[in-house]
Amino acid sequence: MKLTSCRHENELRELMARGQWPDACPPELRAHVSGCRTCGDLVLISEAFQHARVESLAAARPVAPAVLLWRAQLRRRNAAVERISLPLLGAQIFPCAVALFAAAGFAGFEARSGVAWLTWNYWHDWFVQLPQAAVAQWDSLSSGSLAGSAWSWMVLLPALATLLLLGSVAVYFATDKP
Amino acid sequence: MAPTGKRTRMSWELALPDALLQPSPGGAEEAAAGADVCDPAMENEAFAAFYSRSARPLWAYLARSSADPALADDLMQESYVRFLCAAGAPALATDGEAAARLYLFRIATNLLRDYWRRPRAVSIEEIPEEFFAVRGQATQTDAQILLGPALKQMKPRERQMLWLAHAEGYSHREIAKVMGLNTASIRLLLFRARRKIAALLRAHSADDGRKS
Repeated sequence: MKLTSCRHENELRELMARGQWPDACPPELRAHVSGCRTCGDLVLISEAFQHARVESLAAARPVAPAVLLWRAQLRRRNAAVERISLPLLGAQIFPCAVALFAAAGFAGFEARSGVAWLTWNYWHDWFVQLPQAAVAQWDSLSSGSLAGSAWSWMVLLPALATLLLLGSVAVYFATDKP
Repeated sequence: MAPTGKRTRMSWELALPDALLQPSPGGAEEAAAGADVCDPAMENEAFAAFYSRSARPLWAYLARSSADPALADDLMQESYVRFLCAAGAPALATDGEAAARLYLFRIATNLLRDYWRRPRAVSIEEIPEEFFAVRGQATQTDAQILLGPALKQMKPRERQMLWLAHAEGYSHREIAKVMGLNTASIRLLLFRARRKIAALLRAHSADDGRKS
């Protein structure tokens, strides 16, 4: 298709943009438009679109700008939260992994040392005897095999605290998901 | 392609730490400058003024290009939200309203394109009742009667180009920016589209003349 342009096209376009077509335009240009296909098309289309634009502008019902500002605010906040959620997850996983390694290392160390309370039989006996004499059993627990090593209490309590911490972290991960 | 310019922060963004608001390394400079944070009320006011001047033309463009006023409502809101969230959006104070408006039309054009590309499976229950209501000729305006049928026969891209050129009065270069094409292509495509719609409008007018 050959691109044919008329030398009056720009002049005509400017007149229409200024609202001077057809009343305030030279008669010779009007005569030219009636005979020129390019200019005739331009006038026909521009008038139709300008008419449609006026009607569409009147039909538009835009919402309040505050609504859009609020939606944009929400979206940017969500994006910001998403951006920092990955480092936060890493910061949560790292101490958990360290705690797990420490707990595993401690358990392995204690097992190799032959501490009685790490064996199944010890706890089984303790639970069987617990209803009979709970207080006495507790005394035996505190003064019996554990008393064999001087630092056992110092290790046992942090180990229990670690388990509690890990348990709470596990509960958090299980319940925090949307 | 998108104009780059410094973007002043909106009032609600002042509540967030700077680290959360900097999407790119370039943002660090902005944070360092710090001084270009405008009065938030003024900034919101500037947006409201820009919105009041550009919302209706944007809606008209979307409604005429998509032939779906409800879709135009949705896409218009989405366009503004994306405009407000975009890191590279031109700032009203520094880049001017014309650049902001071009950027906005470009967002809207991309949203329309995405919408047309998306596969659709609409259930009959999801279509509103009004959609099925028969609209009489009496409720249609002159422009709808004249331009509506002709626009329906045009391709979506042709409708967009024609609207931008003849309703919004954009130059070939500006249309190229909005549509993401080069200027030479726009010139040719627009020329073809103009010929096509002119023939359709003339044929429609001739039909009306014969009927009356």
